[in-house]
Amino acid sequence: MDEKDLIRKAKKGDTLALSKLLQQNYSFLVKYLMKVTLHPQIAEDLTQETMMKCIEKIQLYNGESKFSSWLITIATNLFIDQQRRKKREKNWLEQERALRKMKWNAAIMNEDWTDVLDVLAQINEEIRMPIVLKHYYGYTYEEIGEMMGIAEGTVKSRVSNGLKSVRKELAELEGV
Amino acid sequence: MKEYDSKNSNSILDDEDELTVKQLIDGLEKLDQWNPVSTPNLQWFQQNVELEKKRIRKKQWKDLLTFISVAVFVLSVVIAVVYRQPILFLYFQLVGIILLPLAFNNTSKTRKKVSTE
Repeated sequence: MDEKDLIRKAKKGDTLALSKLLQQNYSFLVKYLMKVTLHPQIAEDLTQETMMKCIEKIQLYNGESKFSSWLITIATNLFIDQQRRKKREKNWLEQERALRKMKWNAAIMNEDWTDVLDVLAQINEEIRMPIVLKHYYGYTYEEIGEMMGIAEGTVKSRVSNGLKSVRKELAELEGV
Repeated sequence: MKEYDSKNSNSILDDEDELTVKQLIDGLEKLDQWNPVSTPNLQWFQQNVELEKKRIRKKQWKDLLTFISVAVFVLSVVIAVVYRQPILFLYFQLVGIILLPLAFNNTSKTRKKVSTE
């Protein structure tokens, strides 16, 4: 059964079809959230929340974008809302703890940590998200604007300025 | 999982930007390697979907009951006022007619402010 059939059945209330749809997109969603949050625990929690929201709003999915893009839109907005609610200082501490844990995971696997992830973690998530969506997932500025509820021009400037600041920070780190 | 090739995306990158993007992509790919995701089985998803649907149905019934209770209360008050003191009802209507455009004006001003932010 292909994705379109599953979506059609899920919209009619078929629990099995909706479950299969969620299962197929689960790993994609966790990986996306891991990249924008850079925090495995928050990524897991937001994945659960996104799935709950998807179950509630599946009737509203119009099929214009891919199902995975629709899930990314929900997840992105949930993350933005969550970050706005949290205090910045608490966020920073949590982020540091998560980075240490990920560095530990990398060390266990005998892999070298990459500075670019440290730099990404330092920049604001409202800039990190469009960079990841644009340059890792390859979405257009227009699509990212729709996902984040901001103007296309704003996305362009965030990506361009964000990339510049990543380059600058990387150069500084490599210079040390 | 990359859906599109970033080189085909609608941005023009200079050499330095391309290098940064390559570093970014490599770093993010490593992140996937270091944090492997295990997808739960289908039964786990089915259980969650069932539970969530049950919760949504419960919430919808609760909302409907609250709405009906409030509507019945408001209607009873209106009927009571109309039968006992019709003049008071007319006063309420008059106040409503005056306040409604003011409230509408304030709402549209707030919306304009939000959209320009």
